[in-house]
Amino acid sequence: MSQLLQRAISQHLARRASVALAAAVLLAPVALYSQSVSITSDSSKSSDRWLHVRVVSTESKNETVRVNVPLDMAEKVLPAINKDRLHNGKVRFNDADMNGVDLKTLLDAVRTAKDGEFVTVQSNDSDVRVAKQNGYMLVHVAEKHFGSGKDAKPTERSRVDVKIPMKVVDALFSAGKDELDLVAALHALSAHGDTELVSVKSDDNTVRVWLDSKNIAD
Amino acid sequence: MIILAKCALALTSTIVVAGVYTFREGVIKIDVDEHRDGGSHVHFWVPAAAVPMAMHLVPKHHFGDIPAEASECLPLLKIVTSEIRHYPDTTFVDVRDGRDHVRVATVGTKIQIDVVNSEENVHVTVPLSTVNDVANQLAADAPGV
Repeated sequence: MSQLLQRAISQHLARRASVALAAAVLLAPVALYSQSVSITSDSSKSSDRWLHVRVVSTESKNETVRVNVPLDMAEKVLPAINKDRLHNGKVRFNDADMNGVDLKTLLDAVRTAKDGEFVTVQSNDSDVRVAKQNGYMLVHVAEKHFGSGKDAKPTERSRVDVKIPMKVVDALFSAGKDELDLVAALHALSAHGDTELVSVKSDDNTVRVWLDSKNIAD
Repeated sequence: MIILAKCALALTSTIVVAGVYTFREGVIKIDVDEHRDGGSHVHFWVPAAAVPMAMHLVPKHHFGDIPAEASECLPLLKIVTSEIRHYPDTTFVDVRDGRDHVRVATVGTKIQIDVVNSEENVHVTVPLSTVNDVANQLAADAPGV
């Protein structure tokens, strides 16, 4: 009698254990899957540098273009693009493109020069300024517009500001004589803090290119 | 009775395991709505795991018909899809022009492409791992890649 009872109890326990085991086996993939999903989505790098481009055109239908690219990814993707003049992250150009200007020599001159203004042009139509200041290469172009009146003062029609770290310019020209090394430039750029690189403002368009550590544009 | 219960348990566990395996990589979701009269309305979900499996059934010689332009993009696609998953949810490209809107973004481990204009609305969501698998398979089988 006691043997029968013991057998019944052991059978009952075995059935419970097998159900628990089956449930564990069934739920394990679900648990593992949900764990892997959470791991993948949490694996973002907080120190990433992002390059943002924003173009707002008020010309026709308020066209807006926003592009957000992580610099790390751009560094890895660029060498994979081999099209026309872009190969292995480098752009090839020839003398004809530069109208006989030796860009490399020009850059060497700028690099070794002290901070200061290299080009300043002030005319009725536009103001142009090229300078080197605190490790940055600055380019400023302002187009002017005159009103119809005799004593009308000129107003700014468009304004272009470019601010590129000299280290990035160096890296850009670090390849061969006739090449621009985009990957090296991106790498140098990623070492910089939040910077506005290009700003264009005109009656119809606003363009802004900047670098920060956020993955969203303003 | 116990045998029946065991069979039911085995069947249930097989279905659940198969379901988990099939949907482990998520689903590909495609929604197309044409605004014109009699326009198409396509809405379907496909388990992402089914795509690489289906690719194995495609005769290899068909991969030779891939246009050169597409073949050139495959290495790029492989790198982008393997890299992009390391970043948080981001809108990579957003273009608005009047009523037209194009958006490419990542949501979790998926890439989401939305095209909305006056003629149609297209929404495609694909797990990045699936795009990567397909690009890898195409690159392995397509000539000259």
